[in-house]
Amino acid sequence: MSPSLVVLPILFPLITGALLPLFRFRERKCRNIYVELVTLINSVMILILLYHHPGIAYRAINLAGNLEVTFKIDGLSCLFAGLIAFLWPFATLYAFEYMEHLGKENTFFAFYTMTFGVTTGIAFAGNLMTLYMFYEMLTLVTLPLVMAGMSREAILAGRKYVFYSIGGAAFAFIGFIFIFTYGNTMNFVPGGVLLGQSLGDKAGLLRLVYVLAVLGFGVKAAVFPFHGWLPAASIAPTPVTALLHAVAVVKAGAFAIIRITYYSYGTDFLRGTWAQYVILGFAAATILFGSARAVKEPHLKRRLAYSTVSNLSYIVFGAALMTPAGLAGGLSHMIFHAFIKITLFYCAGAVLVGTHRQYVRELDGLGKKMPVVFAAFTVGSLALTGIPGFPGFISKWNLCTAAVKEGNAMALTGIAALLISALLTAVYLFTTIIRAYYPGKDFDYAALDSVHDPGMLMKIPLTVFSLFIIVMGIYSVPLMQFLEKIASGWI
Amino acid sequence: MMLLLLTAGPMAGAALSYLIGRKSRTARDFFADVLVIAEFLLFLVLGMNVLAGDVLTYRLPGFCMRGLSFKMDGFRFLYGTIAAFMWMMTTIFSEEYFAHYRNRNRYYLFMLVTLGATVGVFLSADLFTTFLFFEIMSFTSYVWVAHDEKKESLRAAQTYLAVAVIGGMVMLMGLFLLNDAVGTLDMDSLFEACRACPDKGILYAAGGCMLFGFGAKAGMFPLHIWLPKAHPVAPAPASALLSGILTKSGVFGVIVVSCNIFLHDAVWGFTVLLFGVVTMFIGAFLAVFSVNLKYTLACSSMSQIGFILVGIGMQGLLGEENALAVRGTVLHMVNHSLIKLVLFMAAGVVFFNLHKLDLNEVRGFGRKKPLLKLSFLAGALSISGVPLFSGYVSKTLLHESIVEFTAYGGVQATAFMKGVEYVFLFTGGLTAAYMMKLFVAVFVEENEDQKSMDASNGRYMNRRTAFALVGSAVVLAVLGVVPSLTMDFVADISQGFMHGTSPHESVRYFSITNLSGAAVSILTGIAVYFGFIRTCLMRKENGKKYYVNRLPKWFDLENLLYRPLLMRVLPFALAFVCRIFDKITDGIIWLIQKTVLREARAKEPLPYGNKLTHCISIVLNCMAKVMNHTIRRKRPIRVSFEKRTAQKYEEFITTTRLFEKSVSYGLLMFCIGLFVTLIYLLLSI
Repeated sequence: MSPSLVVLPILFPLITGALLPLFRFRERKCRNIYVELVTLINSVMILILLYHHPGIAYRAINLAGNLEVTFKIDGLSCLFAGLIAFLWPFATLYAFEYMEHLGKENTFFAFYTMTFGVTTGIAFAGNLMTLYMFYEMLTLVTLPLVMAGMSREAILAGRKYVFYSIGGAAFAFIGFIFIFTYGNTMNFVPGGVLLGQSLGDKAGLLRLVYVLAVLGFGVKAAVFPFHGWLPAASIAPTPVTALLHAVAVVKAGAFAIIRITYYSYGTDFLRGTWAQYVILGFAAATILFGSARAVKEPHLKRRLAYSTVSNLSYIVFGAALMTPAGLAGGLSHMIFHAFIKITLFYCAGAVLVGTHRQYVRELDGLGKKMPVVFAAFTVGSLALTGIPGFPGFISKWNLCTAAVKEGNAMALTGIAALLISALLTAVYLFTTIIRAYYPGKDFDYAALDSVHDPGMLMKIPLTVFSLFIIVMGIYSVPLMQFLEKIASGWI
Repeated sequence: MMLLLLTAGPMAGAALSYLIGRKSRTARDFFADVLVIAEFLLFLVLGMNVLAGDVLTYRLPGFCMRGLSFKMDGFRFLYGTIAAFMWMMTTIFSEEYFAHYRNRNRYYLFMLVTLGATVGVFLSADLFTTFLFFEIMSFTSYVWVAHDEKKESLRAAQTYLAVAVIGGMVMLMGLFLLNDAVGTLDMDSLFEACRACPDKGILYAAGGCMLFGFGAKAGMFPLHIWLPKAHPVAPAPASALLSGILTKSGVFGVIVVSCNIFLHDAVWGFTVLLFGVVTMFIGAFLAVFSVNLKYTLACSSMSQIGFILVGIGMQGLLGEENALAVRGTVLHMVNHSLIKLVLFMAAGVVFFNLHKLDLNEVRGFGRKKPLLKLSFLAGALSISGVPLFSGYVSKTLLHESIVEFTAYGGVQATAFMKGVEYVFLFTGGLTAAYMMKLFVAVFVEENEDQKSMDASNGRYMNRRTAFALVGSAVVLAVLGVVPSLTMDFVADISQGFMHGTSPHESVRYFSITNLSGAAVSILTGIAVYFGFIRTCLMRKENGKKYYVNRLPKWFDLENLLYRPLLMRVLPFALAFVCRIFDKITDGIIWLIQKTVLREARAKEPLPYGNKLTHCISIVLNCMAKVMNHTIRRKRPIRVSFEKRTAQKYEEFITTTRLFEKSVSYGLLMFCIGLFVTLIYLLLSI
């Protein structure tokens, strides 16, 4: 298979998405079919590429000097691209039913489709330059999605999002420049590109730059204190908050952090230094902070957004352990959290569309009236809390065992943060479920007569994701082996 | 494979029963009965192999990552069978009890899932499996407590869940530490691995975390708070299971930790002993004061768990010579499970007839109801440790183990252990006292409206209920009458689990010394009953005596400490810190927007005057405000100085202009000039 085919799943949605407004679809149905077809074709292309992945890098454009746009598929790309390729078609189905109520669908779906291409670009990026380029593009294509509501709040949220993202990218850019200057190559190499260099007294500076770069990419991964945009952005329509702000965008941040830690600066250079402790500290603080805020947050979607803040730092924490076991734990949480959080958000969205209720206190008694939605919500909650037998437990177990083995003070603090956060997760999710299922003895169900489960398009993704969560909880050995291979740099 | 069936079977059956229940209630009840009876029979069949000296094991690799492993040896068989037995009896009992309840389908679903999980805990061969089923059990049993959805039930269930989750997390931390320190969680290899571990400190840390987790489920002080709240509000069959078997799963964990990681470790034994003594006493103390039938039984459960923990503690203290403590622990576990089954079912019969539990209201219900009376009496006598009933045997063994240590230990140990012995005997006395209180209240005294109480005589429970109740009660008597046959057998098959050996000579349960210990307890109990309960805890009104709860309302660790701490203080502190940090970045951006990135604004003209007058007016306004609040509070200044200063300024300017143009101004200037010249001349000379 020719390596140049790699660009196909990146350009295809970009072009088809950009063309979408030009087609002037008469009927909603036609447009939906068009969007779903594009997404499906692209997903299939990605999966085929991943299956036969060409091991060599493909140089697409030479910008200047040795600044190249390069694509390469390695293990980590497989993981991220596979994840989004699996989620996107289902998420699109959900979006169709959801967006009917909001209007301005053509613009929405145009950008929605283009985001798919950009995210794939991040996954397939073969060097820091490419990663950085697509990372900036991601901010731009998702901005109209955040502001889709065009209310005052939405526009403010969008502004905040741009402020934070561009600011973060500036810091990331510093990290990129230093690798450009001191590294052997711009390309991603497992183990880093600083090996064999005599850095001398520059080592301290490079570590500082690394920390800045991680915090810069950490803006998208919502690392505290750069998380502010994420809860604000939950004003966006649910398909956006679910797919982008729980999976694609934020995971792209975590993905970039993993890339620069393991593939650019290298763990040998960083492990055991103050740089590692600082990142571990940020991650631990975010883990606690996110869950603590979620507990106090009455708005359901914002509560889930804060929960995302906390959970993303599980991944960052795993990555910052800088051992294969830690990375494997972080990656497993990346996968599991993606499925769990998208399910939870979809449930919240279904409730929002069906009943216009946004606050946790308004959920009384809905458990009986929307059985599918709340069954999925329960599965997601149990999984996210990390009840044994569910996938959240597996990633937590892996992260904690890796951290115990690491044994330094920051890692142990991190474990404490993880466990306390698990407890808080139980608090903020179970209070929601308990409200829905146990409204109290004298609750009047008659008032909820008009409430029922959403349509098929919403139910299909919910069911598929819940089933996946359950299966992953019960049997995840092959996946974990795959992750360990990636983490050890074998693929 | 059969072991997996024992746990997965009920879980699969649960789903099936839910589906059946949507179609027909009777079919569902029948199906549940068949399922639990099959479970019990399967245990008995597999038990035949175990008794023949076989140990069954089964591994399911890859399940939930680390895989599950099960094992069935003597003790596990024993407790699995007791679990199955209790589920069988309560399920048979449930049909009549739940006749008027809503949401029965939900109850059956979670009841059966919990059966599978509980059996899973008791059959687990490594701590990972234990933990997995332990958590499932905690969550599914939540539904029992919250079943009737009343306010206090939901509150109790909340407490239950909170304790379960916190306990689970702490236990998980313990598992991480242990796994890292010794590299295995397998119960059989744990003993050797821990012995080889050089760093005892980390083992104590891990053990402490696990004691916290398992102790929370067992109802150990100070984590007992959920127990007295949850048991009374749950439906009676569920209370029986919560008290009889779910707490025992916590004890099971404590035993695994004590007898593998810390076998014969005196420090550990001492710690557990202390917790045990406190739990034992406080439970009995609360039970004496209680005026609610099920609340008393719940506190009694807590107290009995204390007795069991004392036994576990003594195992550690006695070291190699711990045969009596080992046997006492096992037997007291078994006895307490079976006793509480009977007592809670009896309380359930009272409840589904009257829908009341207050002693003053249910008083006299049991008169002329011989089956109920005898069953309850069997349970009461047994738990009070009256000879010829099963509780006597286990309490005697535990008592003997304390006496044994006093005999062998040093001088200091003797003084302390004497104290423990006295508390032990006194608590035994309290047990007798509160059971006497219950019995006299329900079965002896007359109600004001005795006719309505007697109205249901002869048809207050149906045959199935009677079978469950009396069948369970008979077991107690059988166990107690011939202890050297039954009890010794039970102890023999299970002591291997705790690395115990048979005692050098078989214990003569009915010897004079042993009987005298029981006599001391029972006499104390009678003294407490007549000397304290009938005098201090009853109030006379219109010639009749009423039970009153003399404990002040605030005397409740949960409401006094835990709830305020966890629901007010900590969230407030956390939220406070969070809010500050939450605003930091936003604040920085806001600051940048307002300073460096500020858009140049077109100047708005001031409404009055110019900049100077504006500034002055601001100062004046401020001063006026301050004065209004201080010296001119009575007659505040109500004018805005903005306009006034502008006017004054205007006036000032016009008058100056006029003045400038006048002759007097010229003259004034001239004079000043002259004056300056004069001074200059004077100075230059």
